[in-house]
Amino acid sequence: MKTSVLFKGCLLVVLCFMVLSYGTRVKAAEPPIPIGILGPFTGSLAFNAEEMKKGMMLAVDEINAKGGLWGRKVELIFGDTEAKPDKGVAVVKKLITRDKVLVVGGGYASSVNIATSEVCQNEKTPIVVAIAISPTITSRGFDYVFRTSPNSPQFLAGVNDWLEKVKKPKTVAFLMENTDYGRDGEKIWLALSKKIGAQELAHLYFEIGDTDFTTQISKLRELKPEVTFNIASTTEAALIQKQAKELNFVTQWIGVGGQFTEAYFKMAGTTCQYAMGSSLEPTLAMKNPIVADFVKRYEAKYQKARPGIFSSQGYDNIMVIMDAIKRAEKLTGDLPADRNRIRDALTKTSIELTQGKIEFDKTGQVYTVTPSPVQVQLVDGKPQLFIIYPPARAGATYQVPLPWDKR
Amino acid sequence: MESLFLQQVLNGLIVGSVYCLIAIGLTMIFGVMRISNFAHGDFSMLGAYFAIYFVLFLSGWAGWVGSLVVAAVGVGLIGFFVERFLFRPLLTRWTDIDIIMLSIGLFILLENGARLFFGATPEMIPDPFQSKTINFLLFSTSEIRLICLLFSCIAIFLLQLFLTKTKTGVAIRATSQNRNAAALMGINISFIYSLTFVVGSALAGLGGVLYGTIFAVFPMMGAMPTLKAFAVTILGGMGNIRGAVFGGFILGVAETLGGNYVSMQYKNAIGFVIVILVLLVIPQGLFGGREKKWG
Amino acid sequence: MNRKPLKSLFIILGILIVLALPLIIRDRYFQHLLVLSGIFILLTSSWNLLAGYSGLLNLGHAAFFGIGGYSSALLALKLNLSPWVGLPLGGAIASLFGILLGIPSFRLSGPYLAITTIGFCEILRLVAMNWVSLTRGSLGLYGIPPLTPLNFSTNFSIKFVSEQNAYYVILIFVSLTLILLNRLVHSEFGIGLKSIREDELGSQSIGIDTSRYKLTVFMISAFLAGFAGSFYAHYVRLISPEMMGLSETFNILTMVMVGGLGTLFGPVVGAILLTFLSEGLRFLEDFVKIDIRFVIYGGLLMATILFMRNGIVGLFKEVAKPKESNGR
Repeated sequence: MKTSVLFKGCLLVVLCFMVLSYGTRVKAAEPPIPIGILGPFTGSLAFNAEEMKKGMMLAVDEINAKGGLWGRKVELIFGDTEAKPDKGVAVVKKLITRDKVLVVGGGYASSVNIATSEVCQNEKTPIVVAIAISPTITSRGFDYVFRTSPNSPQFLAGVNDWLEKVKKPKTVAFLMENTDYGRDGEKIWLALSKKIGAQELAHLYFEIGDTDFTTQISKLRELKPEVTFNIASTTEAALIQKQAKELNFVTQWIGVGGQFTEAYFKMAGTTCQYAMGSSLEPTLAMKNPIVADFVKRYEAKYQKARPGIFSSQGYDNIMVIMDAIKRAEKLTGDLPADRNRIRDALTKTSIELTQGKIEFDKTGQVYTVTPSPVQVQLVDGKPQLFIIYPPARAGATYQVPLPWDKR
Repeated sequence: MESLFLQQVLNGLIVGSVYCLIAIGLTMIFGVMRISNFAHGDFSMLGAYFAIYFVLFLSGWAGWVGSLVVAAVGVGLIGFFVERFLFRPLLTRWTDIDIIMLSIGLFILLENGARLFFGATPEMIPDPFQSKTINFLLFSTSEIRLICLLFSCIAIFLLQLFLTKTKTGVAIRATSQNRNAAALMGINISFIYSLTFVVGSALAGLGGVLYGTIFAVFPMMGAMPTLKAFAVTILGGMGNIRGAVFGGFILGVAETLGGNYVSMQYKNAIGFVIVILVLLVIPQGLFGGREKKWG
Repeated sequence: MNRKPLKSLFIILGILIVLALPLIIRDRYFQHLLVLSGIFILLTSSWNLLAGYSGLLNLGHAAFFGIGGYSSALLALKLNLSPWVGLPLGGAIASLFGILLGIPSFRLSGPYLAITTIGFCEILRLVAMNWVSLTRGSLGLYGIPPLTPLNFSTNFSIKFVSEQNAYYVILIFVSLTLILLNRLVHSEFGIGLKSIREDELGSQSIGIDTSRYKLTVFMISAFLAGFAGSFYAHYVRLISPEMMGLSETFNILTMVMVGGLGTLFGPVVGAILLTFLSEGLRFLEDFVKIDIRFVIYGGLLMATILFMRNGIVGLFKEVAKPKESNGR
């Protein structure tokens, strides 16, 4: 008898709590225009996600200062994916069902965004992905999924062109992040290696969050590859460069380029000299007036902080979204109808931003942005990125990596 | 001409030495107080963060050595309070499970608190040598890693001296073997408990600084070392310090050799596989004695 | 006793509320939290069976959850197996792995068992991460089909994609589980488990085959957790190696301890409370601007062990207990 009274009492307490804790969150119809933003705001990628956020806030604050859209302020609601697919799915569902966002933006990790974009497709909410480069995201016939960043074949086209026509390595090795980001890039470079007849010496992997690469690097040192493809995020990439020096390993490192952030240069110091990648770094394209203006406004808002690739991609991402909302015209408050109208507006996007012109093809993939191959070279002892190919756009010539004792 | 095998062995010894320090602390605490502290690795993490902040004041060599001292003292102090106010009240009241649960709660608290406080982005403890490398004929490594290995060995040696040659050290070992007999001989058990926990935590803090120097410092860095420290302690026999030293080096080398010749991706599993195999055959560990009873 | 009709009224009211909840509060996110609570109740109850009733500290419980989820998902994706079949099948496969963990528990206890279970879970998580051809690695399995609709006639069928319908399905399973666990715990087997928890040597001396008991309870517990995993896979329609991480197990553990270890309703209370607390705390984030949820979790767990050892249900029991006389 006592147990059932207990049970009822417990149940009552729990129910009260549920309603109380939940009720405080449910608000009346919000005047602001809600846009959901996904990103790995905690974890080892947090710094870069913050960069993306800063780029976005630059755009949003400017629009809101001018009165927002039709007098309504644009509100970004951030969802932390922790770079994990399951957290990403949970948080995007929340943004859609509870925060009732009109569009989802942001992104970053390929593994996460493959899953979250599927959720958005099922929920008929347009999603505009930034940064994540896995081709899968826009190749499933999902008409609610768009991407403002190049996919991996597009991203690597510049570097691969250079590899095929200029460098022509005889031996290659792979040191990849064990995620879709890593494995997708691996596939592309594998195909390239076969095409140019390079011998594959090793396929090695590591996890996001690993800090010890000495085993892998020791192995690579034994094999002496001319080129080592290394897809890694900021922290891991920097540690790999450091540990390569500690173990006296020299190779031409080629990555995607997303790792070349301020945090990377701080961590790696001069050990990242000669590393290469593909880049959309805004500061490399200062000849473009749109880019120069963006950099100026960014530095003004954030006290001399230089914008990196994540800031400019975040900025472009939000600008595209807000542009589409504007073109969708008045929002009726009927959520499904509004979302559909925004989706339709997105397909007709054509706007000049920091990466160049943004237009989407039939699959929702931007096709008008072209990254260039870059190399880290030392200027007065400080590492800097230079475009090294094609000659028309190059800012410096390619340097072959020297052994450590000669640097 | 380099030898990959010897290189990996050296890599393993370096990592293993850090495991040793952390594991010794864990096994001492378990041996004396029967506390399985799942937050032990987080003490290493705190030590590493002490170092990060200390070197902001003092850089270069003095900074690095100083940060070791600061970490040891700082974490030791934290350990003192944790033992006194969290674990001590439980020791007489509850069961094994409760102590483990409490330490898990502490682990969750510390790890996430650190994330909040320090931010999730990994940081580096600056290398006073600036990543200079030493090249031996058959293998190479950075100078700082060698120093870490040396430091660990010296610390282990000093600890052994302390435990065998000093009165307090012997008292600790006595309490570890048989608490009641030790009490009857006039040893102040309360003092021994505090001291053991403080020393054990300080060792973890030192291990954290070394770990952070060799690799990187971030709030979640405590989890793996905790598990590996447990693996090492079980391998060596819980409560057995010599076992922990052997176990630490064995695990370090097993990981690098296993990662190199067997599989890179399952490197972290090697420790667990070894533990499970050992426990199935020798439940008390390679060097453990009979199950100790509390008189 | 004039308490009886009032008590029955409460029970009926309670059941009605539970049944009608998603119809009263139509917010989809709220309903989603209800479903999650249900899944967690299965997980907490099964973990409690091991730790609370049998004294077996299993820190690798997330492994069973993951095995059930991956099994059911793979069977549905690769063999087109109906998810309804996948649910018990996932549980059964997890149960087999339960045997793997049961065996070491014969000789190991306390921290030794704890580390073995953690090791077991970590190894399986690494397998899920690295056997990319099977599990797609860290990408996880997405596009998992939901529970197949029940077709009653050409016009009328019940689909199980919505949170509301999922709630009713999990409600059925949770009720069944609680009823069965209640009978189990009060049966001879259950009493045997408790005696093993209290004094293993003593139990053996009175003829209880402790090995067989431990093996059985591991299998039952694993089955339930695997079942929960399969349901999760077909509800969220994504499963990844993260689900088998240590923090997932710690989550379950915190729920049980806060709710009340070793009781029937402790896990229920803990699961529901912490699932909603997690959400309720988000609004705190708007004020404090940082995510303090897990810090609170850790603090809550520690406070429970130190001050409220028997959890919320334990508190209730103390309050409801009639004042005992001082004589023995």
